Amino acid sequence: MIVALEVVVLVALGVLAVYGLVTTALNRPPDRTTKIAVAVVVALLVVQAAIAAIRVLTGVQLAETSTFLIYLAVSIGVLPIAAQFATATDENTGDGPTRWGGTVIAVGAVAVAVAVIRLQYLWDARV
Amino acid sequence: MPVSEPVRTTSSGPGRVLIAVYGIFALSATARAAVQIAAKFQEAPVAYLLSALSGVVYILATIGLAGHRPWSRRLAWTAVAIELVGVLVVGTFTVLDSGDFPDDTVWSVYGRGYGFIPLVLPLVGLWWLRRTRAR
Repeated sequence: MIVALEVVVLVALGVLAVYGLVTTALNRPPDRTTKIAVAVVVALLVVQAAIAAIRVLTGVQLAETSTFLIYLAVSIGVLPIAAQFATATDENTGDGPTRWGGTVIAVGAVAVAVAVIRLQYLWDARV
Repeated sequence: MPVSEPVRTTSSGPGRVLIAVYGIFALSATARAAVQIAAKFQEAPVAYLLSALSGVVYILATIGLAGHRPWSRRLAWTAVAIELVGVLVVGTFTVLDSGDFPDDTVWSVYGRGYGFIPLVLPLVGLWWLRRTRAR
């Protein structure tokens, strides 16, 4: 884990969460800007996860390696799923995305932020 | 054709937010229990089995709230009710006597380790199920 990158990731997640809540408050469904923002944040998370995974696989010893790797997978997987769910058309009712899509993305961003913070704790517990 | 009130489903509008939160808890509680049981089950079997139970309850609640089958709503009601009882019982038990819980579960101390969301979530879930029921 690189602290500078982690700070950038957490700030990006915070901005994404706020943006999602703002679109909900403005009664707008997730738009193109939302999708681009999610893609940028996920790209940052993938870079972070790749660096951390390579370092773990090339010799950094952690107290809980498997938990760390699960959190890494969660950190990159949650937002694409949340964004898909936020913008999907409900196949049973035919309802398109609503204003609440932004809040769904915000929930995902907060959950990923928690995962990133836990990753840092696990990283600090190096053997 | 008379204009009728649209059928409210549990997955409509803000319901998606609720399903997202339930999905995240289903994922985190289940993954946590899996790691606990795989790595150190003997240390605290009761706590880890409760972790697994909470994971299953969150999964069933997510399926129930997201689904549109005839049994979806009943499944959601049941799962959310079990969730509420679980967080109250385990929460009270862990506040009174933490001795039997050497390791935290999602429901320990009313979900303190998860920002008390596990205590609020079933109340919101029950409110949402009541609000969206057929009229």
